[in-house]
Amino acid sequence: MTFSWSANFRKKKALQGILSVLPVIFVMLFIRFYPIGEAIYRSFTNWDGLYKNDWVGIKNYIEIFTDSPFWTLLRNSFVLLISVPLQIFIGLMVAVLLYEEVAGWKFFRAIVYVPQIISAVIIGYLFRIAFGLDGPINGVLRDIGLEFLSIEWLGNSGTALFVLVFCLTWFSIGWQAIIILAGMTKIPPSIIESASLDGANFWQRTFLVIVPMVARTIEYGAIMAIVWTFTGTFAFIYSITYGGPGYETSTIDYMIYTKFYQASADYGFATGLAVILLIIILILTFAEMVFTNKVSDWE
Amino acid sequence: MNKRQIMTKVLIFLALSILAISNIYPLLFVFMNSLKDRTEYLKNPFNLPNFKQLAWGNYETMISQFQIFRLFGNTLFISLVTIFFLLALGIVASYAFAKLKFIGKNVIYFLIISSMFVPVQVTIIPLYMLFSKLHLVDTHWAVILTYLGVFLSEAILLMTATFRGIPDEIIEAAELDGAGYFDILRHVIIPMGRPAIILCVIYYFIVTWNDLFTPMILLTNMDSRTVMVALASLISRYSGDPTFQFAGLFLAAIPAILVYAIFQKYIIKGIGEGSTR
Repeated sequence: MTFSWSANFRKKKALQGILSVLPVIFVMLFIRFYPIGEAIYRSFTNWDGLYKNDWVGIKNYIEIFTDSPFWTLLRNSFVLLISVPLQIFIGLMVAVLLYEEVAGWKFFRAIVYVPQIISAVIIGYLFRIAFGLDGPINGVLRDIGLEFLSIEWLGNSGTALFVLVFCLTWFSIGWQAIIILAGMTKIPPSIIESASLDGANFWQRTFLVIVPMVARTIEYGAIMAIVWTFTGTFAFIYSITYGGPGYETSTIDYMIYTKFYQASADYGFATGLAVILLIIILILTFAEMVFTNKVSDWE
Repeated sequence: MNKRQIMTKVLIFLALSILAISNIYPLLFVFMNSLKDRTEYLKNPFNLPNFKQLAWGNYETMISQFQIFRLFGNTLFISLVTIFFLLALGIVASYAFAKLKFIGKNVIYFLIISSMFVPVQVTIIPLYMLFSKLHLVDTHWAVILTYLGVFLSEAILLMTATFRGIPDEIIEAAELDGAGYFDILRHVIIPMGRPAIILCVIYYFIVTWNDLFTPMILLTNMDSRTVMVALASLISRYSGDPTFQFAGLFLAAIPAILVYAIFQKYIIKGIGEGSTR
């Protein structure tokens, strides 16, 4: 096709290319890269959005690490990460069941993903009601004679975090199941069939045959779920516990919201939290890149 | 099939049925209780509502007092305008990344994609201050612009991958026929990249419809709020009537569920493909 690749034509195409991406570059600079830079810069100031905007060095960071609920926030995020292995394990089970293509499996596949379609506001409210002091869960517990278990679930950090883990797991199973199922369809069916013929039972087949073949998908699902746990749980926390009691169920991203609405308008502190969140996400993303490269080396 | 295989199938069917019930039941619970009055709900939330006197009043109040359909309008405007600009900017950029050669292409592509993982919480306070300088706070445009910043990289990643699969020969043949830039977009890229484009429309409709964080920060006045922001503040009042709140939550769940019910094939396929890259 050399006829069309005259110098003029190439130039015209290059110009088209640059003009095509220009609007996106403009939007990204304005709405994405400028605010990221701004957040980093302001985290070294005592910015309050109005009058104060003096350089204070790393004072905000010292305050975050020594005189703030930061370590509680981090602990909470790590507790919420318990939902990651749970959702992957159950998602894997669901994917293996869907793979059998029993009657109505397409319907089940569609239903499995439904929690992802419902707003976190709605899901969160239901969990808050369900685990309320006079809520349905406690009602059932009392009815079946487990009176001592009908506690104020959302009233202390341990059980409130448990409710959140439960909620995030329920919400994410479908997503994990769908991506693992997609990974499984790339395995030649004969491999799974021959494993069954060789007399492998369900667990052997799942963990010795299927899991190694979908290892990359599972690892991708795990990294995405970890990142999401750090950045995507705001609406759930807001509608279930409001981050409370105190900061006992808040995460870093939730605290950014809290700080934003506090009367003191300590935006320097809040952008410091934002920068720490950014660093955590960058480390996770970097880990993923290193890890995926390694995995592709093995193949 | 022997007996054992049939038994296995039945067991799998039962297990999947239990899971299906666990996924559907919450919505059913919301709907059933939205048709009760407060005392009936408090007596037993698991009972069916009294069919002789269903409390449609909850829905009437939702529509007439709470004006939920006006809130729907706000969310719909934000969703549709966001999707329009995502596609308008995203399609041309993805075409350039996939099919055109120009200086700095790979660097620009890398920079745009690498911003994908930066969560919106990191940029929200600087954006709020920026929008307040531009008098955009409390307008839907603040939310739309923020969404564009967050979603463009993802949408471009998806569409560029799909557009790369379009054979060069088809584009060259169109050029031989005298097709210009926009002709190629209209007659080659958009029709052949349709699966990715449809996925973007559906996926970002659902995401923007359900989102809480961005509109909650950027929209503070009552008239501009999205439906999820308004409901989040309604349910945060402990004294409120739960059955009334259920009516609002049920109505607000319908649009996303409806879109999913119609287009679920595209979503399931898209989510699966995105994961295996």
